[in-house]
Amino acid sequence: MRVLLVEDEPKTAAFVRTALETEGFAVDVFDRGDHALAAATDGAFDGIVLDIMLPGLDGLSVLRRLRSQGDRTPVLLLSARGQVGERVEGLNAGADDYLPKPFVTAELIARVRALGRRGAEAKTTTLHLANLTLDTVSHRAERGGQVFELTAREFRLLEFLMRSAGQICGRMTIIEKVWDYDFDPGTNLVDVYVKRLREKIDNGFEPKLLHTVRGVGYVLKGPA
Amino acid sequence: MTIRRRFTLWYAAVLIVSLLVMGIGTFIEISEQMRHNHRPSPAGGAVKETAEMVVEAGLPAVLLGLLAGGWLIRRALAPVANLTRAVEQIHDRNLSARLPLSGSGDELDRLTGVFNAMTARLDGSFQHIREFTLHASHELKTPLTILRGELETALHDPAASPAQKDRFAGQIDEIDRLAKIVDGLTLLTKADAGQITLAHEPVRLDELVRECAADAQILAQPARIAVRLDRCDELTVTGDRHRLRQLLLNLADNAVKYNRPAGSVALSLQRENGFAVLAFSNAGPGLAPELQARVFERFFRGDASHSAAIEGCGLGLSIAQWIVSAHQGSIHFASRPGELTTVTVRLPLA
Repeated sequence: MRVLLVEDEPKTAAFVRTALETEGFAVDVFDRGDHALAAATDGAFDGIVLDIMLPGLDGLSVLRRLRSQGDRTPVLLLSARGQVGERVEGLNAGADDYLPKPFVTAELIARVRALGRRGAEAKTTTLHLANLTLDTVSHRAERGGQVFELTAREFRLLEFLMRSAGQICGRMTIIEKVWDYDFDPGTNLVDVYVKRLREKIDNGFEPKLLHTVRGVGYVLKGPA
Repeated sequence: MTIRRRFTLWYAAVLIVSLLVMGIGTFIEISEQMRHNHRPSPAGGAVKETAEMVVEAGLPAVLLGLLAGGWLIRRALAPVANLTRAVEQIHDRNLSARLPLSGSGDELDRLTGVFNAMTARLDGSFQHIREFTLHASHELKTPLTILRGELETALHDPAASPAQKDRFAGQIDEIDRLAKIVDGLTLLTKADAGQITLAHEPVRLDELVRECAADAQILAQPARIAVRLDRCDELTVTGDRHRLRQLLLNLADNAVKYNRPAGSVALSLQRENGFAVLAFSNAGPGLAPELQARVFERFFRGDASHSAAIEGCGLGLSIAQWIVSAHQGSIHFASRPGELTTVTVRLPLA
């Protein structure tokens, strides 16, 4: 997967590039909006990571021009502003995703990977991971024959984690997808919910499925 | 005493003195004439005639003068009263408004002009401070992003020892906390500058309250705090769904955090005279009366000895207050130390 990274801050560009390359992406870096627009128009990228504040041409303008040219390359917007309304503004301009700074690198990578899969995922109604099963129609979860009672929120959390099985889910992504919050709640809501969910699906079972990734978030994965 | 009353009293005094002078003059004149004409007169004739003249001609003139004078003074001072009302309306959020000039170029017009110039200077300073805060928060994000990125790389480096990893993870937590403060500050600064547009749509507040109560229950569990939803009237308000959820979560989080172990939180939502009245009560240490007026201040954390161990950025209630006022509502904090603390929000119904 070839990614266009547009970021004018050299150190940020450097660690994002390293992280993406470590994960097997091919990365082209630009530090000016106008140059990036030219590159995006010429080259075939599978995804674009675009900072909003850029010299030459700002990120939102780059995005609007791309879209007006009929270019549908998935775009993840990065913003230092991270403000109410800005997310909506970015998505309206044609972005596929939005991540405020300072972001979690692992979360950025997970989202870039998701850009490549966009639209490809089929919605199955029964999810499996090892001996854990979740029926999204009847909201029934069971592991090894034992059925769990889940609250509506726990169910959504488990469904999200199961659909992203094997991928690291940052707190920000979980808050967005499970709570549909466009703000950082400033509480340990996610951690408390994950802890409860873990008590239900992992207590008394081996192997453990729900793992903490320090400084990032959580991952649900089966035995390797 | 107001200038108007003072002027009126002085004016009345002047008129009364004039009346006295007039009376004395008339008395002397009449006595003179009587002596001159050698007219025999009954005792006190001059006094009587003078009194008649004063009562019949002088008194009505004085009363008329007083009324006219009062009206004149009121008229002359009306622009001052208008100016006072207009200046009273000025606060830090509408500094760009200017007082209307009458265009007559008189003293009051000049005074109004001076007020306008002063407001403009204040407006400039306030904008300067806001822009400074916005720039500062933006500038802080870049180093925070780099720091976080590099620490994360170090944390997941297989060569790092467990002790090092603990240290890195701790530093990441602090960076996240700093980022939250910067975010809150940016939000409030933008709100001050009127740069945030909120949605204006019907929102079923009772649904949001139920959802919030469920989340609060989970948040409260580690401290064994019981959360009750006492009442939840079905009602709709007009506003921004995301911001209202943020408001509810902020208040719920506060009620849980500033609580005592194994304490309790009670939520209620009810309809009252065209308002949705939302109350969050919690048992907890409470707050001394002299500190209660300051709870909505930015970075106010109450009694330092209580709050040192409580996580948070100190902007939660300021943000809550902004959300409420952006919805034309009001928020009230009441607490009795050692007893119940209640935050009440009133929002107009849709």
